[in-house]
Amino acid sequence: MMDSIIEIKNVTHSYKGALGESVKGVTLSVKKGETILLCGASGSGKTSIIRLINGLIPHYYQGDLTGNVSVAGREVAKTELYELAGVVGTVFQNPRSQFFSVDTDGEIVFGPENIGLPPAEIKERKNDVVAMMGLEPLLGRSLFELSGGEKQRIACASVAALLPEIILLDEPSSNLDWEAIERLREIIEEWKAQGKTIIISEHRLWYLNDLVDRVLYIKDGRVDREWTGEEFNALDSDAVRDLELRPTTVSKHFEEVFKGKVSCKEMAISEKRDSIVLRDFYFSYNKKPYVLKKKKWSAEDGENLSLCVPGLTLPRGSIIAVVGKNGTGKSTFLRCVCGLEKDCTGVIEDEGGEFKGKKRIGRSYMVMQDVNHQLFTDSVEAEVLLSMKDKNEERCLEILDSLGLKSYKDTHPMALSGGQKQRVAIASAIAADAGLLLFDEPTSGLDFAHMEKVGELLRELADSGKTVLVSTHDPELIEQCCDYELYIEKGRVGYFRKVENSIIG
Amino acid sequence: MKLKLDPRTKLYMILVVSSIVMMSATSLFLWVVRIIITMVPIGLLILEKHYALALRFLIFYVSALVLMFAFISENSTGFLTAFLLGYCSIVVQFMPAMITAWYVVRTTRIDEFVSAMQKMHMPDGITISLAVVMRFFPTIKEEYGSIRDAMKMRGVMFGGGNVARMVEFRMIPVLFSCVNIGNELSAAAITRGLGGKVKRTSVEELGLSLTDVVLITLFSATMIIFVVFKYL
Repeated sequence: MMDSIIEIKNVTHSYKGALGESVKGVTLSVKKGETILLCGASGSGKTSIIRLINGLIPHYYQGDLTGNVSVAGREVAKTELYELAGVVGTVFQNPRSQFFSVDTDGEIVFGPENIGLPPAEIKERKNDVVAMMGLEPLLGRSLFELSGGEKQRIACASVAALLPEIILLDEPSSNLDWEAIERLREIIEEWKAQGKTIIISEHRLWYLNDLVDRVLYIKDGRVDREWTGEEFNALDSDAVRDLELRPTTVSKHFEEVFKGKVSCKEMAISEKRDSIVLRDFYFSYNKKPYVLKKKKWSAEDGENLSLCVPGLTLPRGSIIAVVGKNGTGKSTFLRCVCGLEKDCTGVIEDEGGEFKGKKRIGRSYMVMQDVNHQLFTDSVEAEVLLSMKDKNEERCLEILDSLGLKSYKDTHPMALSGGQKQRVAIASAIAADAGLLLFDEPTSGLDFAHMEKVGELLRELADSGKTVLVSTHDPELIEQCCDYELYIEKGRVGYFRKVENSIIG
Repeated sequence: MKLKLDPRTKLYMILVVSSIVMMSATSLFLWVVRIIITMVPIGLLILEKHYALALRFLIFYVSALVLMFAFISENSTGFLTAFLLGYCSIVVQFMPAMITAWYVVRTTRIDEFVSAMQKMHMPDGITISLAVVMRFFPTIKEEYGSIRDAMKMRGVMFGGGNVARMVEFRMIPVLFSCVNIGNELSAAAITRGLGGKVKRTSVEELGLSLTDVVLITLFSATMIIFVVFKYL
């Protein structure tokens, strides 16, 4: 008998203080053991549906709720959250903000301790989970030292230790690299094999193909369309694009790129005419012992270097995708180029000048992954003016206008949406008059439409003569707008080549 | 050798060390007691292999003591001495308490701390809020690091020479990030059953070891001696 384990009946909900409704008359019934994918644009109501099931709506996020949600025979609105803890487990989007402990062991046992299981049983569960997910190497470590992917695996383990029948995943891959996503897929496969009911809300779709039984397309708070897993896989790429979803498959080319299997050594670019040259970038996180004067890094340090780029020619006005696994030096590379690692040697040659040390800061500007970190002032206009050496209000308005931010010039940056904040950061970068713009994973966690917008924006920046370096795990973005691929491995340039056209496979 | 202390001992240590260093020492004997009690957390830091920190603290502490005894007497006057007195008192009276707290936060795991608080029958509200505070120290450090980077990049490290802006540029993004993280964190924690009516268990089996007992006796004795000699 196929019992339905989740019943959502005609639910409408709006958050307290919000204008519109987050979900409108959603009815959904999920059978035990089903794996369901929720897809759709940001703000379409996917997360709200997840919150309806795990009880965060109405218990944590208040608002108006009509209709009825029941999970495993309990009515969610009348069940306390801690009673749901052993029934529904949730893996959230941001690995940074979902762990309560400081160490990995404490995090895995956190849930079982909360529901008051006897210590012996908790230990047993912990050992089971650790064995199942292969987490031995991560035990006994501080969560703050782990990479995003490792944190996300611990989050999965922490949820699994509660042995919930239902597991919800809310955009779990947003901050993960290719390898970590594959690990995540393995975990989901294992859960599926155990007969858990799984609901995944996600923008990245390629890693879920043939894993899901049913796909729900959420639009404006409603379940707009529904397919079986097979039907959804059979959709052609145009149909997927029309739905404003990210592609469901990844071409062989990118599979190789992101798995680091490309062996070509070609350094396609030699035209020196119009380009920015990076020369002698050496850096290491391991400090050399010194007595009075810090020793400079140089090529002789060989294996000890975390970054070793003797020379690299970046064609001006192009978009260069920086790819490679997490933890192999992509961020180090970007940080060094924009002069944040002051111990890094290296010269930027641009417009006939040479820029070293602190001067590099003015030549380049990085838009960080979490743009909240780089917005300091109380209005958008002040934010842009802050970056200008000579405070030119006219130019400031011009920049804001070109980014469609003119009407927000007096708004507090923190009151803007994620995409708008990103554009404010870009506006500051343009105002700083940097020739080299660096973007650290600007599209992770974005839906297709927003990703496309970022791509267009990067293109415009490049067309206006800026050179753009963008680190990314999104093949879609590279395909859409990048001219070159720069593969970084262990702090070295693996290859640097043109993105071939029509590589959609 | 790694010394594993019970969180209760550590909390007691914070209490005793900070009370003793805060009460004014009026005789040479009281000074000796105070210095001895200050050495306890330093010894523990050395056992935890935080040599650099211990050394740095010792240098500050000893120099402050020397300066205090050499240059400051009850009838010293003048701006420079007042300034010196201020510096010395901060180092001698506040730093030991701070370094003890630092040691405790660094070496106590959150679940250990929570179960210790439970054993002492503290209300859950207090326990959980304190646990969240402990959890937040490293987060604030991380966030602050990224914000400093962003400031460096925009050349606003010194807020254009304006101290208020310097603070504003650092604090506002830190606060926003922490509020966001805190919000997501609580949501994640309560979906995993935090705050339920069930009595929370712990895999961490706490027990007072011999070292704990010795230290607790030592702390209590020092406290009694200090109070007795000061007030009687």
